[in-house]
Amino acid sequence: MTDCPNGTVRDLLPEYAHGLLEGNEAALVAEQVAACAMCREELALLGQVNEGLTRGAPRVDVAAIVRALPTAATPRLAQTTSRRWVSRHVWQYATAAGLILVAGSGIVWKYEPDGQVTRVADSSHVATTAADVAPSAASMSADEGITFGGGLSDLSVDDLQLLLGQMDSLRTLPSTDPQSVTPVIAINDGGKTL
Amino acid sequence: MSAGNRDVDVQLDVTLIARWQRGDQRAASELVERHAQALARFAAAQGVREGVEELVQDTFVRAFNSLESFRAESSLRTWLFTILKRLMLDRQRADRRAKSQVELDEGHAVQEFNALDGLVADEAMQRVRQAVDRLSPLQREVFTLRVTEGMAYTEIARVVGSTEGACRVHYHNAMRAVKEYLSDD
Ligand SMILES: [Zn+2]
Repeated sequence: MTDCPNGTVRDLLPEYAHGLLEGNEAALVAEQVAACAMCREELALLGQVNEGLTRGAPRVDVAAIVRALPTAATPRLAQTTSRRWVSRHVWQYATAAGLILVAGSGIVWKYEPDGQVTRVADSSHVATTAADVAPSAASMSADEGITFGGGLSDLSVDDLQLLLGQMDSLRTLPSTDPQSVTPVIAINDGGKTL
Repeated sequence: MSAGNRDVDVQLDVTLIARWQRGDQRAASELVERHAQALARFAAAQGVREGVEELVQDTFVRAFNSLESFRAESSLRTWLFTILKRLMLDRQRADRRAKSQVELDEGHAVQEFNALDGLVADEAMQRVRQAVDRLSPLQREVFTLRVTEGMAYTEIARVVGSTEGACRVHYHNAMRAVKEYLSDD
C-alpha cells in the first residue's frame, strides 16, 4: 500500500471519514479522494481499523452508569421541580402566613437537612434554640442572597413566590454539605424582632 | 461523534451540562449516551481486558463529581478521555504490582494481555487488531483516537499529554506500521 504524496489530504482523512471536515477542507479532501486510488485505499483501511476496534469493544450499560452518577446540584433559583413545588404550596404558605399576620404574630422557619420545615418562634412549635434564629429582618446565608426588610403584609403574591422559591431551593440542596442546609429564614412583622 | 460540525457537538455538551446542573437528570443520560461507547472503545483498544465498563463508569462518576470545575476550554469529550486515561494508568500500575507479585510467587511470566483478539471473529479484522496491538502504547493511543473518533491533534495531545506535532508524527508512523504489517502476508 503506497502513501499518497499529498500529505495535507492524508493527514485529514480520519476527520473526513468521520464527516468532521467543513467547507474548503471537506471539498479539498473529497476532490483528492475521488481522483486518487491511494487515498481511497487509505480511507478504506481507516474504515477497516475503525470497524475492527469498534466491533471488539464491549457494549456499556448506559443506564447502569447513569444510576451511579451523583444527582444534579440543585440550582439557586427557578429550577423546574422548585417551581412545581412552589406552585403547589404557595397558597398554603400564603394562607398560613396570612393567618399568622391576623394573629398579630410573626414566623421563623427553619429548614432542616431532611427537608422538614420547622416553624420557630411560633409559641406552639418552638423547636430550636434562640441562637439559630436570625435576627430581625428576613435573611439567609449571604450565599443565597435574599434579604428584605418589612413585614409579610408588605409582600405581594409574587414576592411570596420568590421567597418560597428560594426557600425551596434551600430545602432541596444536596445533602453532601449538611452545614449549608440549615439556614434560618426569619421574617418579622413590621420591624418587630420576634 | 458523527455530526458534521465539531463545534455543534461541543456546544451540545455544554448545554447538557448546564441542564444537568439545573437539576435535569435526563441530561446526564444523554451525556453518558453520547460518550460512553467511545470511552469503552478506547479502553478496549489499549488492551484493557476486564472491567472496561467499570472504568467507563468511574470516568463519568469522577467527571460528574467535578463538573463544577469543568471549564469549557477543552471539550467535555477530551476531558472524559483524559480522566479515563488517568484511571487506566492507575489500574495498570496496580496490575503491574500484582503481576510482579504473581511472578515472584509462581515463578512464571504473566502473558501479555490482548483484549480484543478473541472477540473479533473475522480474520481480516483479527489482522487489523494485531496490527494495532503491535504499536507502541503511545502510538496506539494517538492512532485509535484519530481513527475511531476523528479527534483533532490538539485534542489528542491533551489526552495523551503530548504536543500536537508529536501526535501528528505518532499517527503517521502508526499508519505506516499498520500498512506494513497488513501487506506483510
Ligand atoms: Zn491521494
